[in-house]
Amino acid sequence: MRRRSSLPVTFLVPTLAILLVLSMVPTLYAIVIALQNRELSAPGYSWVWFSNFADLFSDRRFLNAVWVSVKWEIVTVVATMVVAIGLGVLMFEVAGPRLRNFYCLLFIIPVLLPRVSAAFVWKFAYHPLYGIATYPYRLITGGLIFDPLSKPGSALFAVASVDVWQWGLFFAVIVLKLLETLPPQPIEAARLDHAKRWQIHAYVTLPMLKAPLISLMFVKMIESLRSFDLIYVMTRGGPGVATETLDMYAFSQGFIESGKVSYASAMAVLMMIATVITFTMLWKRVQA
Amino acid sequence: MSAIVCSHVDKAYGATTVIRDLNLAIEEHEFVVFLGPSGCGKSTLLRMLAGLEDISGGEVSIGGKVVNDLEPGDRGIAMVFQNYALYPHMTIFDNIAFGLKRQKVPAGEIKKRVEAVSRTLGLEPYLGRKPTELSGGQQQRVAIARAMIKTPKVFLFDEPLSNLDAKLRNHMRVEIARLHQSLKTTTVYVTHDQLEAMTLADRIVLLKDGVIEQIGSPAEIYRRPGNQFVAGFIGTPNMNFIEATVGRKGDGWTLTGAGTVLSLEGSGFHLQHGDRVVLGIRPPDLKTANGSAGNILQGTADLIEFHGNDALVTFGSGGKEISALVPARECPELRALVRYSFDEESIHLFDAETGKSLRRQQVS
Repeated sequence: MRRRSSLPVTFLVPTLAILLVLSMVPTLYAIVIALQNRELSAPGYSWVWFSNFADLFSDRRFLNAVWVSVKWEIVTVVATMVVAIGLGVLMFEVAGPRLRNFYCLLFIIPVLLPRVSAAFVWKFAYHPLYGIATYPYRLITGGLIFDPLSKPGSALFAVASVDVWQWGLFFAVIVLKLLETLPPQPIEAARLDHAKRWQIHAYVTLPMLKAPLISLMFVKMIESLRSFDLIYVMTRGGPGVATETLDMYAFSQGFIESGKVSYASAMAVLMMIATVITFTMLWKRVQA
Repeated sequence: MSAIVCSHVDKAYGATTVIRDLNLAIEEHEFVVFLGPSGCGKSTLLRMLAGLEDISGGEVSIGGKVVNDLEPGDRGIAMVFQNYALYPHMTIFDNIAFGLKRQKVPAGEIKKRVEAVSRTLGLEPYLGRKPTELSGGQQQRVAIARAMIKTPKVFLFDEPLSNLDAKLRNHMRVEIARLHQSLKTTTVYVTHDQLEAMTLADRIVLLKDGVIEQIGSPAEIYRRPGNQFVAGFIGTPNMNFIEATVGRKGDGWTLTGAGTVLSLEGSGFHLQHGDRVVLGIRPPDLKTANGSAGNILQGTADLIEFHGNDALVTFGSGGKEISALVPARECPELRALVRYSFDEESIHLFDAETGKSLRRQQVS
């Protein structure tokens, strides 16, 4: 009896202890710093409690960063899912087994690339004079300059396209594999029921895959929150503040422009709270 | 006019031919059963009628129209699958209504028709539920409702009862028979269960290795099997086969095999002296012998299976296992010597090489 009850403890305590130290210590420390007025330029500090948070809400650049973050989240998640489902269904409908394997291999390659490498590749591809992605535009217009990364209107979408290139293609492979696991009979029944090809997917296969597709979307939502490296390499938040997400702004407040680590920590804490609340609510809604 | 005509139909997967030069005409209002062992191509043939498999060669027409290149939805057919193939995320109502919605039938009419169909099949209490909340029999009834509501020219059933337990299978079989009686829709039904085939069919199409072995009413196929395969496939318990050699004796014939010599009048068969034949006798046609007159098969009873009303007695005769189905009260003791006689009308003779029946065509 004693041996049986001590086994879970033996395994759980060390791992949980390590997890607690790794995750809770930085989190708690960030909260503590957010309540002080530490700066990188001076060693001294005092407790200012919630004034950092109060300042944030009158900081227009912070509000812009919130908006950019929300935009980034929506654009990348929606575009990834659309590309994944579209391509996945297309492969399922058009490609034979051997071609499917080839496409799967091809579509997994982008996501294997480290973010920073992918970002550099596409930064060059978007180069207004030499980039391969802007080449067709130059060809058609006879040499006009097209520089998507330096226009406030298009910069966010240009960066998001790299994210979708990595994750949308990868998810397309997953969607294809999910479609292949479905039993063929309901699809055949739908064909007999006068459903067109697209209707079969809209009304039968995709609803049957609702649960895994929602899980995929959650994975992408969490993944999209961690896009700092991509944006940092491609635009550094620019032009101006057009692609400055919350983590970009926090980083530049904390370490680049003014060294206000407490102010940056306050942002990080707010982000954490907002994320936890949003995801809990979404999760509950999906479960219901 | 025939409801379905297959002429010279072939089906091949790469180099493997599954169905070879198949010709078949199914009349309107007919209930035809495709019967055969697994892998005989019966389901493939059905799926070709449905348009779920391509036709490699030949022509299929439904209702006088060649359908080779028509989409499944445009062939005027409805199909019921073995594993029901319901849409798991939709309610029963939506499952039944799906086809009509795709055809853009007005919502009011859909509602009326779904209600009518579900009343026929007793599905009214379940219309709001999901398929997983229903039992297997109810799910199959939904599948039938989904097929019925389209008022098709032809119903196709692909082993619809195989997933149900024995009791429910009997019940659903009766329901399908009743349904056909009232709707009179041309029906093609695939099964490997000969009981289903015998009880439901107007005509049975017996297939083996993609070739039709025999087409006929259940009684014809049972009483006048065209070859040894059909004779062995139809009927439970299975027919006894005894290899024998034909001999001439006066006006009649003798059959030598399984340790005995049997004498026949032989007028019903094409026989020649020295022929190698296979004698077929169904176990119920063997009767307990009273005297020593007539043809007798005898041996030691080495297995007795009690069936309730009857008992199946298996005995060895000349190194050959022979079974007789006798009334349970005549059941012998194990290891007893048993003697059974038979009438000449009840036997079947097949060519030992080709397996073809040697019976003379009856002049009618």
